[in-house]
Amino acid sequence: MSTDAIIVTGLFKSQKETLAAVEKIQKHGWDVTEVHSPIPSESLAKALGRKKSKIGWFTLAGGIIGFFSGFSLAVFTATRWNLIVSGKPIVSWIPFFVIAFECTILFAVLGNVLGVITQVGLPQKNYEKNYHPECSGSLYGVEVASKPENVDDLKDLLHRAGSLKGQRENK
Amino acid sequence: MSQLTFETINTTVLNTLSRPGKIYWCTIALLFAGVIFGASCWIYQIFVGVGVAGMNTPVHWGTYLINFVFWVGIAHSGTLISAILFLFRAGWRNPIARAAETMTVFAVCIAGLFPFIHLGRVWLVYYMLPIPNQRTLWPNFQSPLIFDVIAISTYLTVSSLFWYTGLIPDLAIIRDRSNGVKKKIFKVLSLGWSGKTGQWLNYTRAYMLFAGLATPLVISVHSVVSWDFALSVTPGWHTTIFAPYFVAGAIHSGLAMVLTLSIPLRKIFKYESLITMNVLENIAKTIVFTGIIVGFSYGTEVFISWYSQNIIEMETFRWRAFGHYAPEYWIMVICNTIIPLLFLLKKCRTHVIWLFVISIFVNIGMWFERFVIIVGSVAHDFIPNAWGHYRPTWVEGGIMVGAFCLFFFLFLLFVKHLPSVSMTEMKEMIHKTE
Repeated sequence: MSTDAIIVTGLFKSQKETLAAVEKIQKHGWDVTEVHSPIPSESLAKALGRKKSKIGWFTLAGGIIGFFSGFSLAVFTATRWNLIVSGKPIVSWIPFFVIAFECTILFAVLGNVLGVITQVGLPQKNYEKNYHPECSGSLYGVEVASKPENVDDLKDLLHRAGSLKGQRENK
Repeated sequence: MSQLTFETINTTVLNTLSRPGKIYWCTIALLFAGVIFGASCWIYQIFVGVGVAGMNTPVHWGTYLINFVFWVGIAHSGTLISAILFLFRAGWRNPIARAAETMTVFAVCIAGLFPFIHLGRVWLVYYMLPIPNQRTLWPNFQSPLIFDVIAISTYLTVSSLFWYTGLIPDLAIIRDRSNGVKKKIFKVLSLGWSGKTGQWLNYTRAYMLFAGLATPLVISVHSVVSWDFALSVTPGWHTTIFAPYFVAGAIHSGLAMVLTLSIPLRKIFKYESLITMNVLENIAKTIVFTGIIVGFSYGTEVFISWYSQNIIEMETFRWRAFGHYAPEYWIMVICNTIIPLLFLLKKCRTHVIWLFVISIFVNIGMWFERFVIIVGSVAHDFIPNAWGHYRPTWVEGGIMVGAFCLFFFLFLLFVKHLPSVSMTEMKEMIHKTE
C-alpha cells in the first residue's frame, strides 16, 4: 500500500454480506486492509489471510516457567533450615506438586495476558483511525485501500456490494 | 430468541446502564450500612481480641471458616458457567455467563477476607506469604493452609483477568455510544478495542485458553480447600472423598446463587428476551444433577464410616445425624438433596417463584453443610472429655451479615455500571442460530 493511499470504509449489516463484499472487492483487485466486526469471524480472518494466533506459545511458556518457579520456590524454602515437619521428607514431591500446579496456572494466565497485550495490540491509542463507532455494536466495517484517483470507483463498488454508506479518510 | 437482533441486544443491555432511581440508591445505602456494621464488628474484634467470637476449645474453626468455604463454593459456579460450559459449547450459558463471572470475582474477594478475620491478629497476615526476610523463615509449603493461600490468590487473579478480558468488547460498545466523562472512562477501560479481524483472532484464542486454564484451576481450588480438612486426622474430615464432594457442593451452591441473582435481574432489567426460561430451566436441571452427587456423597460418607468399622468414625456420623447439631444436619440433607428434586417437575423448573424459592433453600442448605462438616467434626472428635459445643456470637453474626451485604452491594453496583449480560456472546449465539 503506497503512502498516499486513501482508506474507504464500507459498512455492512451482516457477516454474510460482509464476506461476500470482501470477496467481491478482492476479486476486483482492491486491497481490503481491515475488517471491523462486532463478533469474531473465522471466515473473515481467512478471507483477509490472517495467520494463526501465536498466543498459545506465550501461555505455554508462562506455564512452563510457572511450574518450575513454583516447585523451585517450595524446594528452596524447605531447604533453608532442613527442618522435618510432621515426619515428612524435607523435599516432599506430592505437596510441592500442588504449589507447582497452582503456579503453572497462574503464570500461564499471565503469559496469556502478555500475549493479549502484544498480539491483540492492546492498549491501542489511535484506534479511532478509520474506525466507525457502529462497528462495535452491530455493523461490519470493511476498510479498502485505494489510490486517490480511484476512490469514486471504489465507493461505487462498495455501494454495489451492499455497503450502507461510505466513509473516506486519509491513511 | 429468533426476534433478537444485534441492535435489540445492545439496546436491552445498554438501557440497564441508565441513571438509577431512588429505590436503587436506597437499596445501595441499606447494603452499605450492612457493610459498615460488619466492618465495625471486625474492628471491635481487632481491638478486643478474637475471644469475642464464639470459637473456643474444642471448636477453633467457626463461622469465619464456614463462610470462607461457602463463598469459595459460590465462586466456583461462575467459573463452571463461564469456562467449563464455554468449552462444552453450551449456548444457554451465554446470557448468564457475565453475571456468573462477576459473582465469582466478588465471592472470591469475600472468601479471601475470612481467613484474615479468622486470624485475629490480621496485621501478621504476611507470615503466610513467601516474603524474603533476614531470618530466612518461609511458609511451610507442605501445609494445606499454604496450598490454600496460593490457590485462592491464583483463583482471584485468574478469575479477575478472565472477567475483564471478557468485558473488553462490551466496554467498547459503551464507549462508542456515550459522551463526555463516561466516554473518557470507557475509552480507557476498553483499551482501544476496535474489533479488527486480527484482534478477534487473537482474542478468541486467548479467551479459549483462559477457559482451558480456569477449568483445572477451579477443580484444584476447591480440592485444596477440602484438603484443609481432609489432610488432618479428625474423624469426619480424614477422607479421600472430600475433594470431589467439595467440588460438587461448590457447583451446587454456586448454581443456586446464580438463580438467586438472575431471577430478580431478569425481572428488574426486563431481560426476559435474553435470560429466557430455557436458560433458567437448564440451571435447574444442572442443580438436580449436582444435588444428586451431593446426596450420593452424604450417603457414601455414612457408608464408609460403617464399612470401616472404625468406632470413632461411626460415632461421628451417628452424632451428626442424631446429636447436638442434628437440626443443622437435617436442614443440610433436606435443602441440598430433597428439595432440589422438585426440579424434576417441569412446573417447578419453569416457574420463577419456584426457581427462586428453591435456590434460596439450596443456599441455606449449603451454608449448613459447611457448618455440619466444620463444627460437627471438631466438636465431637476422639476423647469424650474434650467434646464441646459451639455457638456463634453477635460479632460473628455481624461480620457474616456484613459479608452478605458486601456481596450484594458490589453486585448491585456492577449491574448498573457495567453490562450484566455479555452483548458480544449473545450476538455470537444468535449468529450461530441464524
